[in-house]
Amino acid sequence: MTRGLKTVGYLASLGLAVAIWDGLIRCGLANADLLPGPGAVFKSLVEQATTAEFRADLWETLFRSVLGLVIGAAVAVPLGVVMALSPAARGFFEPLVKASYSLPKISLIPLLILWFGIGTTTNVIAVVLSTLLPVLVYTYHGVESVPKVLLWSANAMGTGPREMVWRVRIPAALPSILIGIRVGLGLSFVIAIAAEMIASNRGIGKLIFVYGESGAYAPMFAAVTAVVIAAATIDIAFLRMSDYVLRWSDSHAVKR
Amino acid sequence: MRIRRLREASEAMKHQGLETTIGTVGRANARPDKIVVESVSKSFDGMRALDRVSLKVRSGEFLSIVGPSGCGKSTLLYMVGGFVMPTEGRIVADGKEVKRPGVDRGVVFQEYALFPWLSVAENIAYPLKRLGKPADEQRTIVRRYLDLMGLAQFADAFPRTLSGGMKQRVALARTFAYDPDILLLDEPFGALDSQTREIMQEELLRLWRSTGKTVVMVTHDVDEAVYLSSRICVMSQRPGRFVREFAIDLDQQMTREEMVLSEQYRRTRNAVWLSVREQVVRPGMQEGS
Repeated sequence: MTRGLKTVGYLASLGLAVAIWDGLIRCGLANADLLPGPGAVFKSLVEQATTAEFRADLWETLFRSVLGLVIGAAVAVPLGVVMALSPAARGFFEPLVKASYSLPKISLIPLLILWFGIGTTTNVIAVVLSTLLPVLVYTYHGVESVPKVLLWSANAMGTGPREMVWRVRIPAALPSILIGIRVGLGLSFVIAIAAEMIASNRGIGKLIFVYGESGAYAPMFAAVTAVVIAAATIDIAFLRMSDYVLRWSDSHAVKR
Repeated sequence: MRIRRLREASEAMKHQGLETTIGTVGRANARPDKIVVESVSKSFDGMRALDRVSLKVRSGEFLSIVGPSGCGKSTLLYMVGGFVMPTEGRIVADGKEVKRPGVDRGVVFQEYALFPWLSVAENIAYPLKRLGKPADEQRTIVRRYLDLMGLAQFADAFPRTLSGGMKQRVALARTFAYDPDILLLDEPFGALDSQTREIMQEELLRLWRSTGKTVVMVTHDVDEAVYLSSRICVMSQRPGRFVREFAIDLDQQMTREEMVLSEQYRRTRNAVWLSVREQVVRPGMQEGS
């Protein structure tokens, strides 16, 4: 019931935006050559979606962003846990994290091209570098801020140091870790597409760039729309998974 | 004016012979000391929270520590638990100096401290697993305490779906199930509504009587302390020290209703209440709540 109503609300909101977009062009307020109408974009999207090349490009982009996020999280989660547990590790990594936090990782792409050439490796590394820090910071705070009373209680019940990490700290930090990964998920598509524009011969990012350069705006918007749909689908799937994994959790931080 | 009246009232209590010097109540009883607190002080950032506190808790005793909020009574309990180290002095439990938490001392916190990611049954089984009990024995014990605490139908529920009273029931079941010799209770019923609190108190009393464990409970509820304890120690304002001690010897055959109405209960309760009150209302200080 509530979920159904929510979906209706979402669709109404999106429908209204599309209607305004369409209206602007029909009333001549926007130049249809520079901003194609939703009809033209939809038509182009359907046409392109039937071609194997387009699907391969979309797949390539999704593969790069998800792989980058998986590698980033695989490094960031253990590192965040270690930083929260060991003052020495914290002392060493904290300045590095702080120094690199505000650095736009995308600006490293020319350097990455120099080292790894044009292609998947450079793209994936750009995603890894960008998603690493948010996941790391959320994990660190989650593990570090486990309520003292839970740790005391676990201690009193004979929990050893190793069990304390696996059975108490990590489960308690899970809501926070999953929020970090979701933030990383949002970033990963942005970075993958931006990286493809500069450092790839394939992928949706490259496609958007080429269409944009050649003035083929309807296909360009169609490609953007395809990415939005794919990213939203993956995000929803991730949320569903989080809802299930965190079904014990009081806080709705990660839930809708 | 009011303070003087309190003083006089408490002087009167002394004459009634209710009150004795610390450490002498029930000394004739030859049971061994289970917990010994030897001249323990605790400071936080130079602020003294506890000042040379000494206490002996005999095996099988139910001791309550009452006092104004912020007097350091919980800190003392945490030190017995081994979570916090004394600045001076030492604490001995079962002949061994307390250096860290141990499974001989079970703790129940006001905030329940259940693991929210484990079901009720898994929470109760947790310490049994840590102690390496065989799986079938774990199951039997968990089943017994689920039944005993009326939790059977919630075995697979996550704690977040339970009311405060139910959560505290799980916390008590979890602690009783792994059978520590000593129970440390930190305002265990402080977060519960009054009906639930009374029911839980009765369950605790029943469990204590049937197991003979040594219990140290921190509370600010005088009625709770008088109803449950065999002895009550009253703590002063910060820095906390023990100022009074009461032996409670109520007829255990009485129902709670009879007990609350009895002259002996009222007298004891008023004596303890005045003694705590005296600590809360002190010259030059705002009256606490």
